[in-house]
Amino acid sequence: MILPLLPLSHIFLGLAAIAWKATARSALIAALLVDIGLLAVALSPASHWLTSAAAGGWTDAIGITLALDSLALDFLLLTVLLELAVVIYLWRQRLRPTFVILLQFLVGSVMALVLSQDLFNIYVILELLTLVSFLLVAYDRRTFQIWASLKYLVLASVGMSVFLLGVAMVYANVGSLGFAEIGRTIAGDPHARWIPLAAALLVTGVSVKAGILTFSLWLPDAHSAAPAAISAFLSGLVIKTGVVVLIRLADVFPLSSVFQILGAITGIGGVIYAMSSKDLKRMLAFHTLSQIGYLLVGMGVADHGAAKGVLAYALAHGSFKALLFLGAGAAHDVVGSTEIAHLIRERHRIPLRTRAALLLGTLAIVGLPPFDGYIAKAPLLAAAHGWGSQIVLVLLGIGTAASFAKLLPLFRGPYRRVGNDPAWKSYVILALPIVLFLPIERALFGVAFTRPVMNWFIAVESVAVVVVGWLVHRIHRQFKAHPSENLFRLEPGMFSILLGFVAIYLLLKLA
Amino acid sequence: MAWLNGTTIAMILFAIGTTALIARRDLVIKLLALGLVNSSGILFLISIRFRPQMAVPILPAPAGIPIADPLPQALVLSAIVINFAILALSLVFIMLLVERYHSTDCGRIEHAVEAEKATLESQNLAGSAPESEAQEATQ
Repeated sequence: MILPLLPLSHIFLGLAAIAWKATARSALIAALLVDIGLLAVALSPASHWLTSAAAGGWTDAIGITLALDSLALDFLLLTVLLELAVVIYLWRQRLRPTFVILLQFLVGSVMALVLSQDLFNIYVILELLTLVSFLLVAYDRRTFQIWASLKYLVLASVGMSVFLLGVAMVYANVGSLGFAEIGRTIAGDPHARWIPLAAALLVTGVSVKAGILTFSLWLPDAHSAAPAAISAFLSGLVIKTGVVVLIRLADVFPLSSVFQILGAITGIGGVIYAMSSKDLKRMLAFHTLSQIGYLLVGMGVADHGAAKGVLAYALAHGSFKALLFLGAGAAHDVVGSTEIAHLIRERHRIPLRTRAALLLGTLAIVGLPPFDGYIAKAPLLAAAHGWGSQIVLVLLGIGTAASFAKLLPLFRGPYRRVGNDPAWKSYVILALPIVLFLPIERALFGVAFTRPVMNWFIAVESVAVVVVGWLVHRIHRQFKAHPSENLFRLEPGMFSILLGFVAIYLLLKLA
Repeated sequence: MAWLNGTTIAMILFAIGTTALIARRDLVIKLLALGLVNSSGILFLISIRFRPQMAVPILPAPAGIPIADPLPQALVLSAIVINFAILALSLVFIMLLVERYHSTDCGRIEHAVEAEKATLESQNLAGSAPESEAQEATQ
């Protein structure tokens, strides 16, 4: 029964810190050490006793099961990595203890989510994540933050109600909430009439949380309004907990065609908005959408290699997106704005290490070899057979490169050392996996999986995509028209959730 | 009236709630609608494995009568607590917004927030280099 300790240590240490406020920061370090210790045990070969735990000794049909499979392990590594980087980033800022406590709850609930194998547990933890990130987004109490997080809360709560309806449908027909039992029932009768409706309800509910267009219209505002360290966490990790749930749902429900379509819409929509976005943090928020699109297209390819590729890409995306957000936050602290034109104008005032971090993040996200964006993307590209997914992946790559080409002038000279850069230690933590991703990937997924990385065709394709993206940027700059931002208000967000539900239901029903 | 059971009432409540969330502009009414949507989920969960004339799931079980499934009732407790937390927190945030803008109208608050953000940005930009240089730097 070691496994539940992983999330619970965070929750308990957080609760203890509520009582003794002065210890909040030490409690965070203690929880981090517990995580690293438990993960080290989990990664050691003699750890089969750690892989699964059922509360109270019930069977998996009734009991609440936690399991440490490769999906959970991948995301636990990402959690610890981001936690380490964000804690170091925030260490000098002397934050109020409440902030640190909320951060503990956030980390604990992410860990609980990736471990849980039970639909209702997932519902409760997703709601917990909503509440905690709602408080963290609006922590500085600026009005635009309050408004962004209120929109997030309302839309996410409606989404979770839809999810609860789906949970009820499943329970009514299966009589259990564990994924193992649900899978057995569906395998026994794959054409039962309740399956499309339940699957559509569950997918709609999770999509609201997972940053999928057109369900997550709250995302650009919430992620760009939050403090930088929180944005790094939300965008690198919390948003992907929705993807974890979708992967778990895809194990039992037939969802691959839905994922392909949603992935294409999410990715291309995110890229179009990112290309015309003038603010760095907002552009990064839109790129959260585009990268979720990547993951979804990969999940839609029913292939074992692609499934591993999705996990690898989720890990890689967490590292470089967090690096970009932390860099954007450090730049904002110096020049007072994250508008790209302003950053470029004031680039001589931004510390060199921050600019280097932004450059590294940019190179990784556009997928240039030898950084982790490319190393994680290559197996996904190799596994994505079928023209549709290939075209979408290439278009997403071009769009990503086209929008990040806006940042290029930021990296021109002068290169003078200005001020000190307290955040550089967290850059190093995040840069390590970006540069050394190949050994990590080999250790996690096996040597055979990383073979496409050495494929010349894929390497040339990735570079060509970036070059084409740069050309697209040159052309796109001439146009003044921008897509409307009115879409990201409360009522359209509400409406599109319902519309999206109907669309998914019809898709599943007719398939 | 046999069709008017918990499941259909839950569906009706859900429809009313979402309609109000989209159509009404007042934030407090939106919040009430959100409460309605959340309660519809709870009602649905409670009533989906329940039939009339079922016995209460308390030991000792009566013989010969089918017993209502106790699990949804246990689940609903957590759902109710969560929904309470969400309503309470969003009410606090709406109060912060109302104190600031003296209005509960969603559209008016949205405009005010956007205008405030724009002035904040222009304040940050003021004092730095003129616009033409910025154009040059972007190219």
